[in-house]
Amino acid sequence: MFNFIPYVLKSLWRHRARTVLTVSGTAVALFVFCFIGAVQQGLLALTDGEDAGRTLIVFQENRFCPQSSRLPQDYESTIAKLPSVQDVVPIKVFTNNCRASLDAIVFQGMPPEKMKAWRDINLTSGDWSSFGQQDDAAIVGKDVATRRGLAVGQKFTIGDISVVIRGVFRSPVAAENNLIFTHLDFLQRARSANDVGTVTQLEVHLGDTADPDTVAKQIDQEFRTGPVATTTRTKGMFQADTLADLAELIGFVHWLGYACVGLVLSLVATTTVMSVQDRIKEHAVLQTLGLRPLRVFRLVLAESLLLSTLGGILGVAGSALLLSLTGMSVSAEGVTIAFEPSFVLAVQGVLVAIAVGMLAGLAPGWQASRTEIVPALRHG
Amino acid sequence: MSLVDVLNVTKEYADGEETIRPLDGVSLSIEEGDYVSLMGASGSGKSTLLNLVAGIDQVASGEIIVGGTDITKLSRGKLADWRAAHIGYVFQTHNLIPVLTAYENVELPLLLLPMSAAERRKRVEIAMQAVDLTSRASHYLRQMSGGQEQRVGIARAIVANPTVVVADEPTGSLDDETTEQILQLLSRVNEELQMTLLMVTHDANAGARARRQIRLERGRLHENGQETKASPLRTA
Repeated sequence: MFNFIPYVLKSLWRHRARTVLTVSGTAVALFVFCFIGAVQQGLLALTDGEDAGRTLIVFQENRFCPQSSRLPQDYESTIAKLPSVQDVVPIKVFTNNCRASLDAIVFQGMPPEKMKAWRDINLTSGDWSSFGQQDDAAIVGKDVATRRGLAVGQKFTIGDISVVIRGVFRSPVAAENNLIFTHLDFLQRARSANDVGTVTQLEVHLGDTADPDTVAKQIDQEFRTGPVATTTRTKGMFQADTLADLAELIGFVHWLGYACVGLVLSLVATTTVMSVQDRIKEHAVLQTLGLRPLRVFRLVLAESLLLSTLGGILGVAGSALLLSLTGMSVSAEGVTIAFEPSFVLAVQGVLVAIAVGMLAGLAPGWQASRTEIVPALRHG
Repeated sequence: MSLVDVLNVTKEYADGEETIRPLDGVSLSIEEGDYVSLMGASGSGKSTLLNLVAGIDQVASGEIIVGGTDITKLSRGKLADWRAAHIGYVFQTHNLIPVLTAYENVELPLLLLPMSAAERRKRVEIAMQAVDLTSRASHYLRQMSGGQEQRVGIARAIVANPTVVVADEPTGSLDDETTEQILQLLSRVNEELQMTLLMVTHDANAGARARRQIRLERGRLHENGQETKASPLRTA
């Protein structure tokens, strides 16, 4: 069979316009398929991530946008006293756009020592000491830095907030690469004096034996009669609630991913059928020379497989390249879904392309292998 | 037993309500090394008989035994393997693969046989030399004349050293001068390479080049004015 690979390649090259169009159509479809997969993966990482079920987020009751949640900062010490609470991180969140946006800027202000303790971030440029020494210093996630062209030493202003970039970081949690971290007190003072002493949310880290639902209820019960009532959920649930509208949209969009697979199937199948119909006589000649019908079937399948796989590889590579170079994300109400390219997704995309290529070649391959030689030799 | 025995073969096909029977109980024997021309009017069934001997068409009844194998009993897959090993087919319209070079076209039948690359190369070179096209090995069809294409077709037919070479109107699409060259080449294939040759032609001059001339009329075969029989009957 491998002896015939040059024949297969030359046959594809003979109709290069058709081949190029099919490969590029497949590439575009697989690009979209992987892009949608990356969005879904980003959403899944937020709602099913490692700490999504073991970390609680305390937010002001009945508030959704970070700008409208203003918890007294001293809630932190009250919560910290609860049994099985390991630590509490006070966070001030500022975003320039509460609605869904592809280029929202999200600041999170928190004490530097807690940032170091609870955020797995590595500075790729800049240093911690200059961040610690300067009140309006910020460290920027790599994806925001790429998107906005930010570098260490630059001043970055958006709305009322103006920071000096003292570091660019990379985090294994893709969504965090879209954040800008500042000092808590800086962000509290940055917009208005009224925000001093308030935080947007409290991040509660639980001990290994704690039951998150029980602790969440305890927290809400504690502040039921306080100055500001709270709603406490696991981080995963908080993010899922916050992104509920987007999640619904993404859930719908994933059908478009399947539609892309269908598109590739029909595109490659159409091209292969055309190729087989163009070469009815050629296949009859090959059979006359002694090619078994099964071998003719395999030749057609190989053509279809090559078209689809080549397109798939290009589409997957294109989407991985775009996603890793641009660091795209979508944010809503201060929560960011990072469009994460991954090796698993790339392999999945290529496997889909291979499977579709094989499927697309079945019918034309069968048709070619069942050709009656003598009538086919009279063809064209 | 002869190399090829066609025994009481009937071929029929439906044409609407009507059943056409181009071959009606024909018998024929071809000895090893024979050069047989099969002539007859258009539609007389001569190409049908050639295709049956070549194993690319099926009989309605009867047997075709080539080199001791009854090919009417073989499955499609086995018949394909048998063709690869035993039949060299020269088409009227050459039917070369346009994406392949002359060399690659000649090599094609060998790709189906268990053979090393070195052995393949050697055999292709010998076949290309036999048709005097060594200098055109890397050329594509569009770079060759009709006569050269047919010579490549003949090289492809003989390269695997088949039991029988069948040629269906091999000069049908060529001018007189090229026809003469191709007929000379076929004679050399028979005489020098000692290959058994069955050629279908409507051209009496071309047919006369063969050692045996057989005519097909009204579904029956005639040789020297008598109806042909298979070898056991012929020798009786």
